[in-house]
Amino acid sequence: MTEQKPLVLIIDDEEAIRDSCTQILLKSGFRTETAEDGAAGLDKIRELGPDLVLIDLKMPGISGFDVLEHLKVISPNVIPIVITGYATVDSAVEAMKRGAYDFLPKPFSPDELRMIIGRALERRRLILEAEALRKEKEVLEGNFITMVSHQLRSPLVAVQQYFEVVLAGAMGPIDGQFKEMILKARDRLDGLLSLINDWLDLARINKGQIVDKFRPLDIQKVLEKLLELMRPVAEESGVALELNRVSGAVLVLGDEQTLEQAFTNLISNAIKYNKRQGRVRISLKGNAASVSVAVEDTGIGIAKEHLPLIFDQFYQVRRDGGGKLKGTGLGLSIVKKIVEAHKGAIDVTSEPGLGSTFIVRLPRP
Amino acid sequence: MKTSPKILVIDDDPDFREAITPILRSALYEVITAANSAEGRQKILSEKPDLILLDIMMDSLFDGFSLCQAVKTSPEYADVKSTPIIMISAVKEITGSGFEFKKNEQGMIGPDDYLDKPVKPAVLLARIDKLLKK
Repeated sequence: MTEQKPLVLIIDDEEAIRDSCTQILLKSGFRTETAEDGAAGLDKIRELGPDLVLIDLKMPGISGFDVLEHLKVISPNVIPIVITGYATVDSAVEAMKRGAYDFLPKPFSPDELRMIIGRALERRRLILEAEALRKEKEVLEGNFITMVSHQLRSPLVAVQQYFEVVLAGAMGPIDGQFKEMILKARDRLDGLLSLINDWLDLARINKGQIVDKFRPLDIQKVLEKLLELMRPVAEESGVALELNRVSGAVLVLGDEQTLEQAFTNLISNAIKYNKRQGRVRISLKGNAASVSVAVEDTGIGIAKEHLPLIFDQFYQVRRDGGGKLKGTGLGLSIVKKIVEAHKGAIDVTSEPGLGSTFIVRLPRP
Repeated sequence: MKTSPKILVIDDDPDFREAITPILRSALYEVITAANSAEGRQKILSEKPDLILLDIMMDSLFDGFSLCQAVKTSPEYADVKSTPIIMISAVKEITGSGFEFKKNEQGMIGPDDYLDKPVKPAVLLARIDKLLKK
């Protein structure tokens, strides 16, 4: 806490109350400010950021109840105490329901005032401490994940770097089976690196932090950008990428970075599990409450019995003929976690041999 | 006679320095290395390299950023402040797809270019060539 004396704001239309509270509090080592109605009180809360506010419930203009409601929005950590002139239990209860920390029935003695203020300040101290600890913990966790990521990736990346240099022929000519074997080793290391990346992504997706970053986004723009980035990969696999554009902006409420990641995973699956000369079609549909994005492929499809399981971590559909698995088994769990943090939903339909369609529904702003 | 451009590699990973050196030499660059940020700072001043390859996470999470910032803005480095810097890191979220250097935001000055580890030799040489021709 700061060294400065705590600031108490007194909002009351009665001059006598403002003066007597001010005198008592100044003597007890507080700083005080006063306001003679609700509107002036709210201005001073914004301007001065007091620790505590004493609010008279019955005032002309904005009532004490309304001040409580506004306070919750503009400065939720300030502790409000209401002064009830007509000391009915009902109004006190109502005020507590609206977020008052305590109430002080008129007339009150200096000791009563000091006691209530002392308790409220202790409460404020605890709230601020808890808040500071929570923030510190978030930073530590974020740094921890970054450090682990670095520690895990560094040795692998160093090995990869040597392979790259050898494959570039910088250490002498390399060809035939020798080169082939180094290429295979590099591919397996690539797989391990993707696994670490996916696993860390999964650990890093934090619902609270995603919600904090929500803003209205044009999802069509996000998809256009992703398709541009992914086109080279699709072309390499001979798969056509299509976006059924709609006119105007298609707004959803979301966090751009994680949504990009979710759709990257879906589209890259649709490319990876497609057939040659296949197609990936993305279409948008909306109603008043939500937008649906469908990612439709013409690939190998998913058998009915696997469908309920594909969003589980590390679940992978084994192909007939024991072909090599291409993914990490985490891509779709990441998608699901991101979509659910957006209060959205994901569905899948599939026809083995013909293709699959993943539909992501996201809320409008 | 034109002397070959000098490249300073600042990275705390000895394997990275060892792997990258022959690639740079094969393209006829002179290579000097530094194993940490302090050594890097000192060699930037004493060797006056033509280009710097800079790791991000060394002794601390953002060592590379502070060094880059110092070279570009601090009066101590006024002589060498136009030396191109390529940042290279294995940490995806720092140099990767989700991250772009926003110049002048919070007063940070980004590098001239950045690459993910492992770097493809051909890509690295192309990027170096591009910066040196400027």
